[in-house]
Amino acid sequence: MHWRKLTRLLHRDIGYIAAGLTVIYAISGIAVNHIQDWNPNYKIEKSTIVLDSIPSNLTKDEMVLFVLKSIGETGVVKNTFRASPNELEIFVDGNTILVDYNTKEVEQEKFNTRFLLKESNDLHLNKPKGIWTYIADLFAVALLFLAISGLFMIKGKNGIKGRGFWLTIAGILIPVAFWLYYYL
Amino acid sequence: MKNLIVFLFITVLVSSVSFAQTAKKYGNKLTLKEKTPVSVLFKNPAKYVGKTVLVEGVIVNVCEKRGCWIEISSDKEFEKIRFKVEDGVIVFPMDTKGKKILAEGVFEELVYTKEELIEQGKHQAKEYGTPFDPSSITKGKTEYRLKGLGASVN
Repeated sequence: MHWRKLTRLLHRDIGYIAAGLTVIYAISGIAVNHIQDWNPNYKIEKSTIVLDSIPSNLTKDEMVLFVLKSIGETGVVKNTFRASPNELEIFVDGNTILVDYNTKEVEQEKFNTRFLLKESNDLHLNKPKGIWTYIADLFAVALLFLAISGLFMIKGKNGIKGRGFWLTIAGILIPVAFWLYYYL
Repeated sequence: MKNLIVFLFITVLVSSVSFAQTAKKYGNKLTLKEKTPVSVLFKNPAKYVGKTVLVEGVIVNVCEKRGCWIEISSDKEFEKIRFKVEDGVIVFPMDTKGKKILAEGVFEELVYTKEELIEQGKHQAKEYGTPFDPSSITKGKTEYRLKGLGASVN
């Protein structure tokens, strides 16, 4: 079989296999790239209400029950913490409740994971470690093959000896130019 | 065939339940057996700086975006310690907040100048969208934290 035909066959089939992961990595890449502007993994909602009064003679457990009842939270309490004499934090599944005894403010911070995006980010950033590390390595090698084989797929004036050459050079110069701009 | 499916279903169910009951491990395996109370570290920091210690507490705060640090409650009221891990090496999910943790790390002393604290405050305000008043920083400070190596969360 001619080498160009073999390259095309491999490029096609490896391309099919890599398509799913490429989509996941690309979407996650955009999401994580803008981490300064948003939270790519969780949707966090904060809200504050002010209670009319907070009884001063309650034990910590009684206070927890009082606060939960006041805000209508029915989740199971995981733990509590007092950051200062005037504050009480109550940890419920998916909700953190901060009570300020002085201002009578009750601040809630509820979070939900961003469906599919968090999973994609976890895979992209290799959170699972272990065997996923090698799958991600294989994917990187596959992308390398797709990039290099892609250069030699087309013959003629649009191939690597013509238009393809200049476009490839442009693609290499973009990161080089930015690197020089930022670091020199 | 039907029996095989039932058997597999029960096996998967039992393993899921047992998995749910075990502690979740993060990073390196814990090597120390003896725990050091966080209050003891704060009481005599010079004795512990640079040493690897094992602490126990409740996770009271988690880095929302990167999961690259958590805060662990002390055995003493109103005290907590930051457990900083290398970005991407260990990632603590938000749902660990409020859970019990056994954490091993190197006790570190960080000395910040006033300017460094202002820069840090500005960065945090930008990242978390919280208000920050640079004039609230009047002098530098020394902070103690744990450089995280490994943890077990229940």
